[in-house]
Amino acid sequence: MEAKAGLSTSEAIGVPSDYVLVAGIRSGDENAMAQMYDRYSGIVYSVALRVLGDTGAAEDILQDVFMQLWRNPGAFDASRGTLPAWLSVIARNRAIDSLRKKRPESEIEDVIVSVEPDFASEADRKFALEKIRGTLSEMPAAQRTTLEMAFFEGLTHSEIASKTGDPLGTVKTRIRSGLLLLRKAFQT
Amino acid sequence: MTVHEQFAEDLALYALGALEGDERAGLEKHLEECSACRRELQRLRGDLSLLAMSASGPAPPQRSRQRLLSAIAKEPRSAAATRSAPWWRAFEWLGALAAVAVVGLLLSQNTNLRRKLVSLQTELTNQQAELAQAKDVVATFTAPEAQQITLVSAKTPPQPQGKAFYLRGKGHLIFLANNMPVLPPGKAYELWLIPTSGFPIPAGTFKPDAHGSGTVVNPPLRAGIEAKAFAITVEPEAGSAAPTSQPIMVGAGE
Repeated sequence: MEAKAGLSTSEAIGVPSDYVLVAGIRSGDENAMAQMYDRYSGIVYSVALRVLGDTGAAEDILQDVFMQLWRNPGAFDASRGTLPAWLSVIARNRAIDSLRKKRPESEIEDVIVSVEPDFASEADRKFALEKIRGTLSEMPAAQRTTLEMAFFEGLTHSEIASKTGDPLGTVKTRIRSGLLLLRKAFQT
Repeated sequence: MTVHEQFAEDLALYALGALEGDERAGLEKHLEECSACRRELQRLRGDLSLLAMSASGPAPPQRSRQRLLSAIAKEPRSAAATRSAPWWRAFEWLGALAAVAVVGLLLSQNTNLRRKLVSLQTELTNQQAELAQAKDVVATFTAPEAQQITLVSAKTPPQPQGKAFYLRGKGHLIFLANNMPVLPPGKAYELWLIPTSGFPIPAGTFKPDAHGSGTVVNPPLRAGIEAKAFAITVEPEAGSAAPTSQPIMVGAGE
């Protein structure tokens, strides 16, 4: 079994790990919140901007997501997954709710994200981004478009099928197999 | 355990928030009962987070940082913590009203009440017997005078050993350790639950007795966390929110 309980490399060189920052936020440390923002505001903002296509609306989502973390840091505990993965999924869901002018459908406490790369450092994130873009560019165009319509436009499988003219079953299969391709890219 | 193939595509749609109506209700019912599909849902959300990463674009404007920091300065943690209280008040009042209604109903059904009382007394007697038995079991594990004997292969010197008994659905945990080395002053051993993904979760501290034995019984843990492993680190006496040293013992679930 791997010993995950130890210190990370970044921590060893003086950069606090995510869980040290979350512990700080839990105790009301505003500086920890500022560091968390500096680390992950780019991911949250990019996702929101891609979904909403409007900088003002994306800034509102950014504010909303981090305020939720501040008000309710207990919503993110270790069992929720890695922080950047969790934040990016929360940001996407909030942005889609905003796009559809819906009240938030799921509580942030209900979202658990399990992912292989932990994006612990800026270098990890850059490496992951290249790999993800590479995997997406190798996908058949129809599959990539279907996946992006479902994720970034928040369209249901039925809406995608009626928009593209593809059979419903094909749309469902493309979504799942596309996600599995992304997963496979990070499996050794 | 493997994912149920008939739910595989629906799980992806559910992770996207695109599943509705009967399909959604059917899947949610299945998820309550199937840990393999719950785990797959978490992994699919992980796959979605990879897709989210592909959105990498311009950094947010500097004013957003200032806006956030100004907002949190106006909401210190204590104020934020107390804000969620009022909605419970409504439940307290509802609870009180419900209690009055129940009492009224029971008074009007006196015969029924007597019959139920006999049944409840029998149930109570049974539960007391079960409770006494459970207390005996726990006492055997945790009583200071309980002898703890670890059997190992002959000719093997005593090794530090820990055994965790974990009931995920209820968040109950009993941990027993033997042959633990003596700690430096001001330090304690801290047990960590390592979830299937994410950071270690504190699961109690202990100091071994003169014989090197220690226990942790039901530390405060949220119910439902799937444990990949447990680990022990040496921490300050008061315990840490996150490990500050390398684990000295680890063990994965069987």
